[in-house]
Amino acid sequence: MSKIQKKIIALAAVFALSFGIMPVSNAMHIMEGYLPGGYCIAWGALCVPFVIAGFLSIKKRLAEHRNLITLLAMSGAFIFVISSLKIPSVSGSCSHMTGTGLGAILFGPSAVSILGLIVLLFQAILLAHGGLTTIGANTFSMAIAGPFVSYGIYRVCQKANVNRKVSVFLAAALGDLITYCVTAGQMALAHNADTTVGGALVKFLAVFAPTQIPLAVIEGILTVVIVMGLESYAKPELKAAGFLKEAK
Amino acid sequence: MIAIDKLCYNSKLRYENAGEKFAFAVITLCICVMGRRISTSCIVLAVTGILTVYKGGIPASRYARYMTAPLAFLLLSTAAIMVQVSQTPLDLFAVPVGGWYITSSSASFQYAMQLILTALGAVSCLYFLAFTTPVPDILEVLRRLHVPALMIELMLLIYRFIFVLLHAASAISISQDCRLGNKDYRTALKSFGMLGSVLMIRAIGRSNRLYDAMEARCYDGTIRVLSESRPPKKKVICWIVIFDAALLLFAVWRRWLV
Repeated sequence: MSKIQKKIIALAAVFALSFGIMPVSNAMHIMEGYLPGGYCIAWGALCVPFVIAGFLSIKKRLAEHRNLITLLAMSGAFIFVISSLKIPSVSGSCSHMTGTGLGAILFGPSAVSILGLIVLLFQAILLAHGGLTTIGANTFSMAIAGPFVSYGIYRVCQKANVNRKVSVFLAAALGDLITYCVTAGQMALAHNADTTVGGALVKFLAVFAPTQIPLAVIEGILTVVIVMGLESYAKPELKAAGFLKEAK
Repeated sequence: MIAIDKLCYNSKLRYENAGEKFAFAVITLCICVMGRRISTSCIVLAVTGILTVYKGGIPASRYARYMTAPLAFLLLSTAAIMVQVSQTPLDLFAVPVGGWYITSSSASFQYAMQLILTALGAVSCLYFLAFTTPVPDILEVLRRLHVPALMIELMLLIYRFIFVLLHAASAISISQDCRLGNKDYRTALKSFGMLGSVLMIRAIGRSNRLYDAMEARCYDGTIRVLSESRPPKKKVICWIVIFDAALLLFAVWRRWLV
């Protein structure tokens, strides 16, 4: 056995062990320092219009109803908590929801862009998920692209009179998948050493697919259970608070 | 409940001026990310690690465990960058599979090493900030940096509510466990969903009561908290300026002049 072969086997062993032991937790937050400076700034700049639009819409709503501030803050904390709880998973590794679909369905995509930004900042500081330099890229994938797609799917399904459970499931699961695809795209754009952007994208998608695709399905199911629970137990409260306007 | 939050309140550097710590962490982080060289990252990793563990008094074993936390992400994505599937073998290693090779070049190995170390260096800067500065202090710095007041207020409230909701969630999940709420996979899914919806209902109720309480105490749109700002020390600022200037020069030299 040559030296290189030994090294490969050692590497493979480390790899296998890390898969067996390491909980793949919040694998889709791009970690601190992983993107080059230029990309950090570019993704941050791309988020600015969405964040400003969200900020203005929140400001307008608060000017009309000052008492919504505590509700908004509770919603933000809710997104943080729901995404930091361990969800039951088949393989035994611990994984988390992204909460993007749920947030978009409950609070609307513009509010989620601001709340998501704050939640990501706290996740970086308090939980060491994600990071400060990559916050622009993470905000774009988790608080902008995911929620907007989720919300779009949810509205289209409602217009088309699709079963409510199915539409909530589709919105949450596809929103999660979009988040994962966008993150893979962001990394492929930044790191394509030997191949083209497309080749790198395929590789990133393939590497994260085994954890992310089951997770998207679980997230969809959980979101359905949560939304159904809310509608059966708390319809008057939710209506008073201004959520679920269309759920007659 | 959140270990980092607990540790940073006990840090020996907690009562240093928050602006100094914030500036040091962020500037060093930017130099590390922009520099992207193994040598620069190693210096950053060593300096922030020593500061956090020895000056800050964070247990070294805890620190090591947190440094390995993002390992799963790091390994997976670095493998995706390094390993190629192609019909021509590259120079580092090549494992033939059918007519194709799982292969890698030494250039991309170099690139991957650089990436891993840059990421670890950057994470150590983030940890320096997280392990020494409590969130209210960071918010105070952000207020000085003219982040809109509404954002700061939202962040302050969210920070407080995270703990309220986490407490409620852990109580609910304990009682679910007692009542065999996680006995098999189906029940576990249902329990988690119920936990989520009950949590949201509790959150709405609590937020209404909290707003009433705030109104009763003359809330007029701003929450005023007493900021315990320690004055910055000249000596510390000098050291930060010297270190970051030296690091910047070193990073520029390694990146563009070598």
